[in-house]
Amino acid sequence: MTMATGLADAPLEVKARRFGFLRQAWTHRSDYLYVLPAIVVMLIVIAYPIYYTVELSFFNTPPSLQLRDKEFVGIDNYALILRSDVFWRVTANTFIWTLFSTVFAFILGLGSALALNHEFFGRGILRAILIIPWVISAVAASYIWKWIYHSDFGLVGAVLVGLGLAERPPNLIDSVGTVLPSLIVVNVWREFPFAMIMLTAGLQTVPDQLLRAAKVDGANAWQRFWHVTFPHLQGVSTVTILLLAVSNFNSFIIPWIMTGGGPSNASHIWITHIYELAFGRQRWGIASAYSVLLFLILMTLGYFYVRALSGGEKKERVA
Amino acid sequence: MAHVVLENLVKTYGAFTAVNNVSLKVEDGEFVALVGPSGCGKTTTLNLVAGLIPVTSGEIAIGDHVVNDMDPKDRNIAMVFQNYALYPQKSVYKNLAFPLQMRKLPRDEIDRKVREAARVLDMTHLLERKPRELSGGQQQRVALGRALVRDPAVFLMDEPLSNLDAKLRVQMRSEIKRFHQDLKATIIYVTHDQLEAVTMADKMAVMNGGFLQQYDSPAQVFAHPVNMFVASFIGSPAMSLIPLEASTVDGQTVLTGAEGWTMALSPLNARKVQRSTTRKIVLGARHSTIKLAKNASPNAIPAKAYTVEPTGDVTFVQALLSGAVVNISVPPNVAIAPDEQIWLEFDQERIHLFDGATELALKAD
Amino acid sequence: MSTASIVKTRAGKRIDAWRWGGRIFLVMMLLYTAVPMAWMLLTSIKSGFAAMQLPPQWFPNEPTLASYEKLLDPTNSVGQDFLRFFWNSLFVSTTTTMLAVAVAVPAAYAFSRFDFPGRKFLFFAVLLRNMFPAVIFLVPLFILMRLLGLVNTHGSLILTYLTFGLPLAIWLLKGFYDNIPYQLEQAARIDGATRFQAFFLIVMPLSAPGIIATAIYSFIGAWNEYIFAYTFLNKNEQLTLPVGIQRFFSENTTDFPGLMAASFIMSLPVVVLFLLLQRYFVRALTEGAVKH
Repeated sequence: MTMATGLADAPLEVKARRFGFLRQAWTHRSDYLYVLPAIVVMLIVIAYPIYYTVELSFFNTPPSLQLRDKEFVGIDNYALILRSDVFWRVTANTFIWTLFSTVFAFILGLGSALALNHEFFGRGILRAILIIPWVISAVAASYIWKWIYHSDFGLVGAVLVGLGLAERPPNLIDSVGTVLPSLIVVNVWREFPFAMIMLTAGLQTVPDQLLRAAKVDGANAWQRFWHVTFPHLQGVSTVTILLLAVSNFNSFIIPWIMTGGGPSNASHIWITHIYELAFGRQRWGIASAYSVLLFLILMTLGYFYVRALSGGEKKERVA
Repeated sequence: MAHVVLENLVKTYGAFTAVNNVSLKVEDGEFVALVGPSGCGKTTTLNLVAGLIPVTSGEIAIGDHVVNDMDPKDRNIAMVFQNYALYPQKSVYKNLAFPLQMRKLPRDEIDRKVREAARVLDMTHLLERKPRELSGGQQQRVALGRALVRDPAVFLMDEPLSNLDAKLRVQMRSEIKRFHQDLKATIIYVTHDQLEAVTMADKMAVMNGGFLQQYDSPAQVFAHPVNMFVASFIGSPAMSLIPLEASTVDGQTVLTGAEGWTMALSPLNARKVQRSTTRKIVLGARHSTIKLAKNASPNAIPAKAYTVEPTGDVTFVQALLSGAVVNISVPPNVAIAPDEQIWLEFDQERIHLFDGATELALKAD
Repeated sequence: MSTASIVKTRAGKRIDAWRWGGRIFLVMMLLYTAVPMAWMLLTSIKSGFAAMQLPPQWFPNEPTLASYEKLLDPTNSVGQDFLRFFWNSLFVSTTTTMLAVAVAVPAAYAFSRFDFPGRKFLFFAVLLRNMFPAVIFLVPLFILMRLLGLVNTHGSLILTYLTFGLPLAIWLLKGFYDNIPYQLEQAARIDGATRFQAFFLIVMPLSAPGIIATAIYSFIGAWNEYIFAYTFLNKNEQLTLPVGIQRFFSENTTDFPGLMAASFIMSLPVVVLFLLLQRYFVRALTEGAVKH
């Protein structure tokens, strides 16, 4: 009897709530005007492409992009990808690239932020110089480093030969073994300043009183860092690492310009590979299927990203 | 100036009711304080009058106009905020001029009014400063000035003194009171400090949990609180509330304490107790109405001093009675030690009796 | 020597170890960041012949500005193209920046202030966009741009940059608006301002540092963008700098001084802009991203 009443009541409640939502939305209708421009632009340039990519991934497409001639193939594209060796090679590369770039960019950024945290002469200038690599274009950075790695006249080779560490300049970005680490060095060069800025900002929120209290309690520099500073940096660190990971996962310019993915796919990562499939070989359907897979992986990462960010939002609400 | 009428005013946020069916009338030129603990709905009520948040139901009238659907700018009101809300990028002069500019007054008239307001509030020398260059008291005065230049129908003030230090607060309190007397302004003033309300307001509206508890002159509220909440909220130190048991002994109505003592009631108080439906009675007494003696006497109740707080002109003694803390004030020359045996005598004319269940004041008729 | 002074020197030594560790680390970071940039500059003032030597000329024997002269001389074809790319980049970046500010300001304000239904959802939708790489959108966007007739126009770039820059722009600005007390707007509305006037006259001026930060962010992003420009544009006269330089030097693979000079000129505007306004930018990150 009670169960029956409960069931009968439920839809009513849902209806009331939905009506409440609409009424709420209506009373706030003018508020939406402020976000409308942003939403419209996003819908055109984001929602539509996502839908379209998913659709294309189930089709075999002609190279001409005459999409009237596309042919439905079900999940064949996906099967093809998962069975190919290149896919696993590229996935491993992407993993190494993302992991090492993120870890080193974070550690160097944290070290720089800490070392620059107390006042000394020339600090401002030093900080500015360390930030510059982050600002200059990745295309310029790629060319600079390509020249530095040059197999005949590069700076690295010249230094190694000059110090007697090598007989002739090594072929850093043209050999399968060294290409990925060499590119990671370039990527870290561009990215550690971002971590440095974020963590510098984070360091400013560490209360002086706590550090002084720890000093009075007899904590040494390391203990002060570990027990006071580091816990305060946790929120910023999470966000920074996530942002770095996402942006490394999505890298394109450095490998594309410096090596084009070579030699023999040793420096291909997901994005460059997808780009080559689509615009190099006109395999639109397969490239789309790749994109959808990538999308799924990113959604998982995105879950943590939003959770890290919304954790911050909740804290702010309480405060 | 104008009167303000609230009728059955309700404001809900989802399932939470912030203001519950509040009705009151503020007469033309009256100073009304909305007072209550934080979260009681007083600021929400003020924001409803200001038009900063929409009304859920009920009616607000300023002068003879119902203003429910009017924008704040059309209600002809001025407001002073707790954090002053001075525009940080504008000088004092421009802060004062802003409301006049919004009303598209000619420039020379704006200038005349701004200088007049600055003269009244004695801050002509501050006109070119930015708000961050001013002290708290000066910022407060600029905020008042910005309300004043407009010549509004009603002044709304949201805890305007609570960001000031204690000394300045007392000084600004009398300045605002003076301001009200000179301008004959209608003022609605929100505060959580009952002392501000009692000292400044013509009438006070005591709120709790979104409900209006009592709306009357401070003297009336002080002398005849309608329930235990108002009784304990108004007055400092707070009124002592002692839970007792009513019974009839030999045809006489008496109250019995947890320690076993009894107190005989005057005929009027006895009638109040007889008319109530409960035996659980709460006795309320202000510190100044309790007589403290070091020796036993027929009507006095034995108790033990708990703490003794000399303040200079008066010494407060706390004693435990029937599980409640009782505040008594004695002249500073009476020396009492903690844990000393004392006897307390309640003035039958000035005690308050409350229904232990409903918490309402007992009535004789 | 008293015991007190011994204790003092010991404590001093320990702190010094940390200090020196930090200094050595900073010197190494300085080398890591500055050497490549210095090498770019040094190479750019060498002749093509001087650049290609082993062992290298650490400092050019005969410094020359020939590469810069060639790139900036509108009378030869190289200079013509290069200046053309430069103006294209400037136009696209400036337009994108102005539009981004115009769109992000009201949106960020709404996200900060209003509690309308769906607000949270929309905010996270905006943030999630930040997650996805350009390439995922490239094929369908390319098709969409063809549909809209925008392929080979700067409009295609401006529209995409706008969208891809918006999430962070909105996020940065929202942090600023969150820090402006809402009582200021209430006061303004009571003082006779409409909701819009309260926003425009009171809040906007206060958020100027945030708007500047957002503008730098959009400008740098647009100036340095490569993938979309590379995909959407193929007519030589419309290329932006990153793509233009790449095109040019894939034909002249050994002109490293020229390439370094071009990289330097391409980096100069954004680096100068950033160094001038970096305090706003760092503050925006602090308030927008860190305080949350």
